[in-house]
Amino acid sequence: MDEYIVEMRHITKRFPGVVANDDVSVSIKKGEIFALLGENGAGKSTLMSMLFGMYEPDEGEIFIRGKKVKITSPAQATQLNIGMVHQHFKLVENYTITENIVLGQEPPSRFMGFLPSVDIKGSNKKIAELSKRYGLEVDPRKKIEDISVSTRQRVEILKMLYREAEILIFDEPTAVLTPQEIEFLLDIIRELRNSGKTIILITHKLEEIKKVADRCAILNRGKLVGVLDVASTTTKTMANMMVGREVSFKIEKNPANFGPEVLNVAGLTVKNQDGLQVVKNVSFSVRRGEIFAIAGVSGNGQIEVADAITGLIPASGGTISLNGNDITNSGVRERTVAGISYIPEDRQEVGLVLDFSLAENLAMKKYFREPFCEKGILNNEAFEEHGKRLIEEYDIRSGQGISTTVRSMSGGNQQKAIVAREIELSSELMIFVQPTRGLDIGAIENIHRQILAQRDAGRAILLISLELDEIIGLADTIGVMYNGEMLNIAPAETLTANQVGEYMMGVKAE
Amino acid sequence: MDIIIIEGLAFALPLFIIAIGGIYSERSGITNLALEGFLGFGAFIGAAAVTAFTRGNVAGIEVQMFFVALLFSVIGGAVFAMLHALLCIPFKANQVISGVVINILAVALTAFFTSQINSVIFGKPTNKFVLGVCEKFTVPGISKIPILGAFFTDVYYYVPIIIVVALFASYVLYKSRFGLRLRACGDNPHAVDAAGVDVSKVRFIAVMISGALSGLGGICFAYSISTSFSPSIYAGYGFLAIAALIFGNWKIGPTLGACLLFGFARSAGYKLAQVLELASTFSDIIMILPYVLTLLLLMFFSSTNRPPRALGEIYDKGKR
Repeated sequence: MDEYIVEMRHITKRFPGVVANDDVSVSIKKGEIFALLGENGAGKSTLMSMLFGMYEPDEGEIFIRGKKVKITSPAQATQLNIGMVHQHFKLVENYTITENIVLGQEPPSRFMGFLPSVDIKGSNKKIAELSKRYGLEVDPRKKIEDISVSTRQRVEILKMLYREAEILIFDEPTAVLTPQEIEFLLDIIRELRNSGKTIILITHKLEEIKKVADRCAILNRGKLVGVLDVASTTTKTMANMMVGREVSFKIEKNPANFGPEVLNVAGLTVKNQDGLQVVKNVSFSVRRGEIFAIAGVSGNGQIEVADAITGLIPASGGTISLNGNDITNSGVRERTVAGISYIPEDRQEVGLVLDFSLAENLAMKKYFREPFCEKGILNNEAFEEHGKRLIEEYDIRSGQGISTTVRSMSGGNQQKAIVAREIELSSELMIFVQPTRGLDIGAIENIHRQILAQRDAGRAILLISLELDEIIGLADTIGVMYNGEMLNIAPAETLTANQVGEYMMGVKAE
Repeated sequence: MDIIIIEGLAFALPLFIIAIGGIYSERSGITNLALEGFLGFGAFIGAAAVTAFTRGNVAGIEVQMFFVALLFSVIGGAVFAMLHALLCIPFKANQVISGVVINILAVALTAFFTSQINSVIFGKPTNKFVLGVCEKFTVPGISKIPILGAFFTDVYYYVPIIIVVALFASYVLYKSRFGLRLRACGDNPHAVDAAGVDVSKVRFIAVMISGALSGLGGICFAYSISTSFSPSIYAGYGFLAIAALIFGNWKIGPTLGACLLFGFARSAGYKLAQVLELASTFSDIIMILPYVLTLLLLMFFSSTNRPPRALGEIYDKGKR
């Protein structure tokens, strides 16, 4: 029994309307990388939050180094040498790296010889040494607001090491990182294990688990499905266990059947706040039954194209027409009514009102029409009926049905809600921007099926994505944007993933 | 010229210490519009204590009584501030509304109790505790230097006290462990919580310090401008202090600059009224000078200001 450093036995945690963890038992060995795998909302973070003292379990026991403990606060978890890097970093932005790390455990010093104060100078040195020892180079004097996301993550790791944590919990650490940064982080995690730390990795990305983890526990809807030895398991098996059914990595697609042109963009130019041209003279068109995908590395003007078509930002040149009508200067609602659906990149900022109920969010683009609104008065029943129907049809899972606050829902279900709302508009043009960002396999599969179903139903689809696989898998026609220009437009079957990748890096078309 | 500096300083420093009180509260993340109420209530406790001890007969012990008043005002302000802290922290009330309500409450409570105490002690329900003027001193030698010397001439006793308290307050806010945690609470309370520090406790203490410093500033106003405690103490100085700390970008150094500016604008205005030989009914228009200045500064400086990131946000552990 002694070999287990952490044991969680029969843990159950209930939140209003949901059982987040249902009789979950896991045991973690000292010095291993233990992964927790599960879809969004499967209860991984909740389980680890209990180990870190942020919640208390309703039932069950926790043993650390063989001793039964009751962890009631993060401070107590720290004393037990448990540290956690949260998905949303907990850093004071106008403080230096050092100040953030020592906060709560400040080394004492004397100001002007007699007044107790914080030893910042000494700490700077100590942090610099610590960061060197673990290969996490940072400049301790820099302020958080001036450093990149990946450096901030290093600060969070250093914070744990400064507190002499032995058990390190990483909550979805790669969600915010670029592929190179992910590789680097995984190296760091391996390094930490080699120096004797125990690592718990919460993630829904199978490749990462395959790369670093020793063992892996799989959760599905709050229940423990199994604990696997990673080396002897395929990602396919893990994926199936995680989702609870057979998952297909391949996208099944019917042959295309193009109809008349729906969207025409001619010579579109967009300027950003600083007056710089971020979209330069872009022209393309989308037909009924076609998925037109715009590929490109982040920040090359794709998002601005979508925002200009939906009217969120003005076009400074060119024309946009829908079914032959010029909508270049129309308002956002006019365009919606004329037949544009928009699934935006930032679903929490642009797509939803987080503190409104699910029913209200689902009616967000229709509330001004009958039956939702009669003579200027809102009709609650219509909202409820409409909400219930959509939850049913699109399998949106939430704690309290239509009255759930959208903020409390998982990312995948938030996205399902937006997609449901936008499909229900029956628009002729649907714009999807990064529709699967941050979602797990099951949810991604679901969204892809929805997109294809809409295409087969004869709608025109504009898909903007940073995921090359997604574009290759779904698109009928591919356009690549680089530095605000549309470099190449070609039927999908004439392009390979490599060619598209080259265009994305700015290799010009001959 | 000298009189402008002397009077300006006498006004600016109490304003400054009240503004520091505001900075403590706001840097910890609690919006504090209640400075006005804190300074009034604090001054009331101080004045009431003096009146109760001396029964109106202060001859010969003015200085001692001034220090008694200071002590009680600080305590009174801190205790009264607990009301704001209680409403905002454990009860999670809206901080703006709490501040406004506390201001109104302070006016009503102090007016009521002043007349009650007066009728018990003197048999006359007046709304005023007469205090007299704080003693002054002049530093020999230095005070002879032109212009600069004015800073050392006819200095109220409270001026050096406020300077010492302000220096200590800056040390605590910027150098001490408590200050580091306090400022972190105003930027990201979640980080403080994750570091194992009790956010509510830090904020509660910060608001109490805010009340203590406001009480100190309030009694200084009572001992200089009005020479008494009466409802006229509520002349908007608390709000002026808020304006000063906003121009000062929630930092103590620049806030001192803003307070001095207000102080000198005010005393220069009075001087101007004298020079122009305006009728006393017109001097009221001069009183608005600091506020006009506030409006002008607001227009120019607001855009570059950066309030504490978590200011006014109710801290809820569970919220992501």
